[in-house]
Amino acid sequence: MVKDSTAENPGQSVSPTQAILIHLICGVGLAVGFSVAHNVYFINLVSDPSHTLRLIWVIESPFVILLYSFFRQNPEKCSYLKAVIRGVLALPVGALVNALGAIALGAPVGSQYFQRTINWSLLMSLFTFVPPASVFGSSSEDWRRIFANTKPKGSLDYMICLPAHGAVVGAWFGAWPMPLDWERPWQEWPICVTYGAVAGYLVAMVASLVLILIQGGQQHPKSE
Amino acid sequence: MSQMTCKKLTLLTLAGLIIQIIGLLLFVFGFFPVKPALSGVSGSESYHAPASGFSENQTQSSLPPHQLRSLYQELSGIPPLFDRLILMVIDGLPAEFVLGKDGKPPKKAYMEAMPYTQSLLANGMAIGYHSKAAPPTVTMPRLKAMVSGAIGGFLDVAFNFNTQAMLDDNLLGQFFSIGWNMVMHGDETWLKLFPGLFTRHDGVSSFFVKDTVQVDQNVSRHLGDELTRDDWNLLILHYLGLDHVGHIGGRNSVLMAPKLVEMDEMVKMIHMSPIMKNDQGKTLLMVVSDHGMTENGNHGGSSFEETDSLALFIGLRSHVSDYASATQNTAQQVDIAPTLALLFGVPIPKNNVGVLISETFDPLEDDHQLRALELNSWQLFRLVEAQISGLSCGSIPLNGFRDTQISGTTECIGSIEKILCCLYMNAAVLHCSWKFKKVSESNRWEDYNSTVAAYHKFLKTASEWLSSRATDKPVDLLAFGVTAMLLSCLILLSIIFRMCREVYHVEKPLHCHSNNDMQKWYLDETFVLGVTLILVISMISSSMVEEEHYIWHFMISTFYLILLRKTAQLLPVGNSLFQGQARNCKFEMCSIFVLLISERILRGWHQGGVNWTHLPDISKWLEHAASDHIKTIQLVSGSFSDLLRLLCSIFAFIEEKICTILGSTIVVTVVMLPWFMPIQNSEKGSRHDIYTTTLVPSDVKDKSPLMELRDSLYVIGWTYILCWCLLQLLLQQPINSMAILLVLVQIMTTILHFSYSGLHREWLEICALYFLGMAGHFGLGNSNSLATIDVAGAFIGLSSHSTVLSGILMFMITYASPLLVLLSMVVYMSVKSCLAIPQNADSGYVLKTMLGFPCLVPLSLNSILLTAYTIVLLLMRNHLFVWSVFSPKYLYVCATTVSIYIGVSVVALTGTYTYFVLAKRKMMLVSIINDKR
Repeated sequence: MVKDSTAENPGQSVSPTQAILIHLICGVGLAVGFSVAHNVYFINLVSDPSHTLRLIWVIESPFVILLYSFFRQNPEKCSYLKAVIRGVLALPVGALVNALGAIALGAPVGSQYFQRTINWSLLMSLFTFVPPASVFGSSSEDWRRIFANTKPKGSLDYMICLPAHGAVVGAWFGAWPMPLDWERPWQEWPICVTYGAVAGYLVAMVASLVLILIQGGQQHPKSE
Repeated sequence: MSQMTCKKLTLLTLAGLIIQIIGLLLFVFGFFPVKPALSGVSGSESYHAPASGFSENQTQSSLPPHQLRSLYQELSGIPPLFDRLILMVIDGLPAEFVLGKDGKPPKKAYMEAMPYTQSLLANGMAIGYHSKAAPPTVTMPRLKAMVSGAIGGFLDVAFNFNTQAMLDDNLLGQFFSIGWNMVMHGDETWLKLFPGLFTRHDGVSSFFVKDTVQVDQNVSRHLGDELTRDDWNLLILHYLGLDHVGHIGGRNSVLMAPKLVEMDEMVKMIHMSPIMKNDQGKTLLMVVSDHGMTENGNHGGSSFEETDSLALFIGLRSHVSDYASATQNTAQQVDIAPTLALLFGVPIPKNNVGVLISETFDPLEDDHQLRALELNSWQLFRLVEAQISGLSCGSIPLNGFRDTQISGTTECIGSIEKILCCLYMNAAVLHCSWKFKKVSESNRWEDYNSTVAAYHKFLKTASEWLSSRATDKPVDLLAFGVTAMLLSCLILLSIIFRMCREVYHVEKPLHCHSNNDMQKWYLDETFVLGVTLILVISMISSSMVEEEHYIWHFMISTFYLILLRKTAQLLPVGNSLFQGQARNCKFEMCSIFVLLISERILRGWHQGGVNWTHLPDISKWLEHAASDHIKTIQLVSGSFSDLLRLLCSIFAFIEEKICTILGSTIVVTVVMLPWFMPIQNSEKGSRHDIYTTTLVPSDVKDKSPLMELRDSLYVIGWTYILCWCLLQLLLQQPINSMAILLVLVQIMTTILHFSYSGLHREWLEICALYFLGMAGHFGLGNSNSLATIDVAGAFIGLSSHSTVLSGILMFMITYASPLLVLLSMVVYMSVKSCLAIPQNADSGYVLKTMLGFPCLVPLSLNSILLTAYTIVLLLMRNHLFVWSVFSPKYLYVCATTVSIYIGVSVVALTGTYTYFVLAKRKMMLVSIINDKR
């Protein structure tokens, strides 16, 4: 079956150093996004959520798309440019899925929330959809392995699967304070959800690194 | 492993339930004590001693007001000090603002804001009291306490929500009966409490909390006119502005001082007016507040800041010597009622627990003062007698004044009955001997003092005991109740665990080829257990209790997403699997999308809860929309229910009969259907299960009537569901008809999904249905505050007022969704559980498999939530919001428990009845065939 060949040969292999580098750059991209918003435009998530989110995803997206496209599957069949285009196309598609998911879970619908929801879901798409789209394209069994079964195999899978799940779970928990009557400005949609998603993403990146290092440590003595 | 027999299972479950009911009852009556109140209105009998056997004569009630007034005057023997009363209620004013605290004068800013009132206090023209209010410190119960002297329990507040008018004996009713003209300007709560009693009124609403100016101007604008009139005896002015200031900015709001200045000016205006000046002493001005406020301006709880309300008498003829004695007095809020009753010569309201404020009677003669104390004692003694059945103190020895020296010093010890009895007798005997000694004049002053002291001792003890009866919580009852509930929870859970173990151990060998991973713990199962945990934890936070609907909606949507993920795991890859399963999977996916969409619409239908009700939602949009398009939508959504109403009324002619018709339809269907269900031969299986039927050995002799059982349950289940929905369409507000449909769609889609996928364990599916029912409960606009109960709907179709019937209707409206889910459990059983039963099983096994989980899972889920919330309530008994948030929620939890009991018993009875009827018929059929052979 096709599934076996791809699962055992996960295209480009990722060394722990590369993994650390990728995650570091992605994290730095986020930090740059936040700091540009804060220092250049003097806005933050609380004062102007939709513009801040737009800035962050615009700054973060080239990092994610360009980096993950390096590790595309079947590099001999699929050019780098094609992988980048896949990533770019996945951005709005993933945003749509994320937005629908958020609305199903109760995100407010209305014209005043429209921009915020779009920008938030574009950012979530960068965390969840764009990396696997750049790497796997439209290979459905890979997508199912990552998202439906959550059975990552190999370091690249860990790098894609864990942060994506981390972001979703973080966003889910981030929605908890929203209905409470604390009367804090950050309880608005989607501010605390974004905080939760970013926190979950960062924690899961660290976790994936740890898992990759453990796995690498287990594999090295065998090969040597 | 030993199997649990059906009989044992039933007995254990019933035992668990009975223990739970007992525990719940014990806890409820321990936590919300219901005081036995005296019914009726005090009349002339209150001027006679309790033991004298004087009964109210019938002619008295028909006396015209003026004669009644003079009769009271004559009987009481106290000359009236005043004939007109101005009751000025300043909502939410803490006594600290006027009187200071702990012997210190109030803050300088407040002193300066109320110069006139302070000067009255300093000159001895006024006397002020810190009157302690009982929780809940919200306006309506506090006004009731002031005019009736009774402390209502929480249940009184909760059970009286459909009739706001005050029916208990109260001051205003007494004033009305002696022909007083009463005028009220201010908070319209008074108008709700006493409809028709006021000759003139101008009610203002406390709805616009941001308005601190107009709300008081609307009261004050009448003041000038009213003060020149002389056609009223009681003028009530209720100012809401200060409470609004508190709600906006707390105690230290910048608006507070100007508001106090305004109030002070009103006091000045009244006190300077001719009616207070000219006939000095005939008009009493009383400035009271209903409750205090916290630093943030909130109220409702039982902290000192909230219960510290003001009672200020202006215009008493007694002059207080210094500022300290005019301000450092304490009283209870309920003391206002007997004081005013005695001052104005009406009987003390029957359920009063207050004690007269003695300083206000100082201008009276000694014998009049003692008479006032005596009347108050008689009234309290009557109330004590009502609380302690069989209390007998003997009669007062009328000529025993010789031995007063002995009995007057009797030490009162023993049980509370004995103490109260003894104190009362002491006071009565002393009073009696004082009356006899009066002529001799020897040491009269000492006797007078000891009589007053004895009366006060009795009054204080009796009052404290009576009010503690209304607020104290018996610890042993509560502990026993909680233990019983914990025990029953453990029993139910252990039954569930045992059934789970049995079922999945039995199932494994049957399906081991396909369900290798049946023993694995799935994400959705973890999630369902997690939801239960989250629900329990969220009950601790008052904000989460207020916004509970968010939790249910969030959880049920997340559950659907997890189902989506689980279905996606099974989605066939490419075209490697055969077409049928692919179509099945796609169908399952579609059903989940239907679930997600309908859940989202249902969530948006009502913006429930407490804090975010102002946000837009679909129902508001439909109700307030002006444009024609939206009207059309409204019309369509409402027309469905209207059409049904029309249809029903065509059949029934009178709307009242619809309930009867629906009820009889159900009864007839349930009772008759099993008798007429065609018993099938194995050749013609039902449409759904050609599969199973072919496996059945084609022999009619087979004793267990599974196929027929399934078919009849299916029909009965649908009858239940449809009749219930029709009833709801009649009872609910028209805006909810769509929401009912959404709940129904979700239930049906869920059952369909589960019956097709066969992936999930049965307990998980029933948990999901239960959660769906609760999410639907909140989706229909319910919340955890008593305010959202649809009272108007409870009177649909009733030709006369009936508390029981309207209560049942209210329950049906409120618990529409959980009961719908439980009724649909019958359909669920028919499409689901019979699959796993082998054909030759005995009746006990069949019943256990069929009814076990559908009955046990809702019961144990509910028992977990009930027990957890009981413990939370016990922990939170001193919480600020215990009366406003936690207690109403507890009532809802109890009502949910009742609805679960009802639903589960309906399911269990239907299942058992249908099974046994079919089994009997099958037996008969078999014997007939045997006879023919």
